[in-house]
Amino acid sequence: MAETFDIAIVGAGITGCAIARQLARFDLSICVVEAANDIALGASKANGGLVHAGYDPAPGTVKAKVNARGCELYGTWAQELGFLFCRTGSMVLGFNDEDRAHLEKLRQNGLANGVPELSIIGPERIHELEPRASAKATCALWCPSTGYVDPFEVAIAALENAVANGVTFMRSAPVKAIEVVRSDDKGVAAEGEGYARFTLVTPAGDVHCRYLINAAGNGAADISHMAGAEEFQMVWRQGNIVVLDKEPRALMPLYPVPTPVSKGVIVTGTVHGNTVITATAAVREPGNTQTYAGDVNALLGGARKLVPDLDTRRVVRAFAGGRPVIKGTNDFFIGQSAVVSGLFQAAGIQSPGVASAPAIAERMEQVLRDAGVALRERADWDPIRRVPDDFDRAPLARKEELIETDPAWGQIVCRCETVPEAEIVAAIRRRPGAISVEGVKRRCRAGMGRCQSGFCQSRVVAILARELGCDPSEVLLEDAGSWLVEGPLKGVR
Amino acid sequence: MATLDMRDGRAETGATEAVQTQAFDVIVIGGGPAGMAAALAAHKAGAQVAIAEREQHLGGILRQCIHPGFGLSHFKQELTGPEYAQRFIDQVRATDIALFLGSMVLGIDSSEGAGAADPGTNEGAGDAAIHTVTLMNRAGMLKLTGRAVVLAMGCRERTRSEIKIPGSRPAGVFTAGLAQRYINIENLKPGSRAVILGSGDIGLIMARRCTLEGISVEGVYELMPYANGLRRNVKNCLDDFGIPLHLSTTVTRVIGHDRVEAVEVSQVDEHLAPIPGTERVVPCDTLLLSVGLIPENELSVGAGVELDPRTRGAVVDQNLQTGVPGIFACGNVLHVHDLADNVTTESERAGAAAAAYALGGSADVETGANCQLTVSPAGIAGYALPGRITAVALTKLNFRVRRPVDAARVRILAGDEELFAGKVRPLKPSVMESFPLPAKVIQHALDQGVSEIVLSVDPVEEA
Repeated sequence: MAETFDIAIVGAGITGCAIARQLARFDLSICVVEAANDIALGASKANGGLVHAGYDPAPGTVKAKVNARGCELYGTWAQELGFLFCRTGSMVLGFNDEDRAHLEKLRQNGLANGVPELSIIGPERIHELEPRASAKATCALWCPSTGYVDPFEVAIAALENAVANGVTFMRSAPVKAIEVVRSDDKGVAAEGEGYARFTLVTPAGDVHCRYLINAAGNGAADISHMAGAEEFQMVWRQGNIVVLDKEPRALMPLYPVPTPVSKGVIVTGTVHGNTVITATAAVREPGNTQTYAGDVNALLGGARKLVPDLDTRRVVRAFAGGRPVIKGTNDFFIGQSAVVSGLFQAAGIQSPGVASAPAIAERMEQVLRDAGVALRERADWDPIRRVPDDFDRAPLARKEELIETDPAWGQIVCRCETVPEAEIVAAIRRRPGAISVEGVKRRCRAGMGRCQSGFCQSRVVAILARELGCDPSEVLLEDAGSWLVEGPLKGVR
Repeated sequence: MATLDMRDGRAETGATEAVQTQAFDVIVIGGGPAGMAAALAAHKAGAQVAIAEREQHLGGILRQCIHPGFGLSHFKQELTGPEYAQRFIDQVRATDIALFLGSMVLGIDSSEGAGAADPGTNEGAGDAAIHTVTLMNRAGMLKLTGRAVVLAMGCRERTRSEIKIPGSRPAGVFTAGLAQRYINIENLKPGSRAVILGSGDIGLIMARRCTLEGISVEGVYELMPYANGLRRNVKNCLDDFGIPLHLSTTVTRVIGHDRVEAVEVSQVDEHLAPIPGTERVVPCDTLLLSVGLIPENELSVGAGVELDPRTRGAVVDQNLQTGVPGIFACGNVLHVHDLADNVTTESERAGAAAAAYALGGSADVETGANCQLTVSPAGIAGYALPGRITAVALTKLNFRVRRPVDAARVRILAGDEELFAGKVRPLKPSVMESFPLPAKVIQHALDQGVSEIVLSVDPVEEA
């Protein structure tokens, strides 16, 4: 019989990865079960990467608590996990008196949520903080704690650290059914060691566990249903997003006054110096990640209102993601299931899921503790991730050192982002490593730049085939079925 | 021949030392047709020359252009891309031009005092600034210094994102050049059933290439009401193979979650906007994009070179010198050419001018001339080179038109005065036009005291 894990976490999005990282410090066996073939392939990969400060959510909601706390935790998380995080501050721009009244409401909201140092500022200060902000803005809510990250880098870093501390990662394992052993009413904590309350049936094999954490994003309603727990429905509030080419100086996040359903079209810099315009909001069929001409035009138009000199021709990528919202509520659902003991929900983690992730993880730890799950700290837990070398950002001396250790560090494969072959190989060999072209891209940026892999894709395919010991025809762009080449042409091999 | 190829044992010896510096007169960035022609011309003029090339081989994109059609004007003979390139590679290898292959240039520093070492080879160069080019390869980091730099980095393909094709983002959407690399270099088949968007030359060539390799081409779709490639390519690559060309039609949606399953195409109106109700779904597993080329000027911008928003290449003078003294540009990094032969011709001029600059014997007599060349927005010219004229001399002008016309006249204007008028003739956007502007026209313009000469290409209604 297969191993029984203390905890299985369904979903390797930013929520699941953060929870895995949080719980890895305890003497527990943990398995992260992911439907897709890599980390962060759902909502976590397609969002603006903003670490919102937390002045938006209605006070008293779960969202309000974890957003502000998550934003606060990001500094520590970035330091320990070695991902890029820029706490730049942000402005919500107002253009008239009505907007100003709204900003004041936001500020009150933020104060109630514990967001620090919020203030309303005038045109002069706006210009000082972000010279490219529209000169038509008459007022702004200045929020120094806002920042941004690469959302998949956060998820990857968190899971790498979790795996280094003994967590198991199972990819390509969509949960098809959940068998639950009904116990008497003694509660989960009373059950003995090795008692498998849940069996997750997946094509990659069954996973047995005592406790189950549902962090399945858009699949959260299905998981809850399969376990016989709360019935709810996911709504896919889809958003198109546009990435523009790098600027000499990254823009500070600029928000418009929010609408009732979303924060509106936001313009922000990124940790790599690009500009991101995020995001539209439209309810579409679940899992739809198509871009639409109307959405993209709305983004570009919205962005120009905030930053009039933005060169919106320099589009590097347009993509779409979704906010997995629980129908009927705007709030997150974090807690033990009221129906199935031993099942813990982290569902409905829509915006601001990225900003909240570290706090959701912290809250989940508390929820487990409150449910009587024994959490004993491990002596050998290491909170620090071994950060892979980023050649482009490395100082000259480090660059030289790397090339000296292995000449493959001197061989650039991706010219747009200056990614050498050795960095790509390292991305594949990391644990969990990249097994697809997009997986490589998310880990080391090869193919992320302005040519969108036109120059380097065939080389990355060759490196993946070599490292994974497969034929180029078996190399995937992303998940199963996304083959890139059929095989050799007729004639010589 | 000096080589710092990573495969060259000599390269390894320097790896443990601090960043080395080597001095040259002229540093050419890029070893494609432009870079090789510039380097050879500079060498011929007596300069010590280095070529920095990121690939392991000289030849640039020509290496994957295995179709014929090269060399007709330069060699009076029809060659394939690799054959055309080889002629220059052989010439380069026969010289002492230093080759830095597999070498990525990280930056060009032209600030004062940037030069870490004095070349000491040419006292006549006066007080010209020294440019420092930082590059890296498998042997380590290296700095090259030169009195002149020739930018010859070529161009890249416009991507799906830049033209904002909506829909999903599955595998199977390739730029035509990437598909060409898979087929011609890697011997890999990118798919079975292809739709090609864009009738630029690469798209046309790839339509034929795919057909020859057993990849069925469902059709070539073109947003504009005319083909964008050369006439001969439309005939040789589409007509001869019975591949349909659908004008005023574009891809409006990519369909398929993991791999392309189909594309939706729509006709467009006179404003190039898709016409609702004309959507048609074309099943395919591959979408090739030939939707334009963009000069790759990230290094140039980093070096402080001003770009022309029309060409997206550097603003240059009649010697192909950019606004940064001593930095020259040629080939597709300057403006996208139609034929490799024209790249060669232009780059020879740039190389010779760079050598003259580096060696301190500039061909131009100081005249104090400084005049901008612009294009008239009223006409159909898309751009004109050179953007700046600083000498009274016979000056080669290049331009392209934005749409095809049966009859148009090229005129040179200064203020309200017409200085020059060409013959009425047909013009196509696929052809890079050039004509010599006589010195006396420039002198005349200067005598009028104008600071701007305007090139206007005006369609002529013929009776």
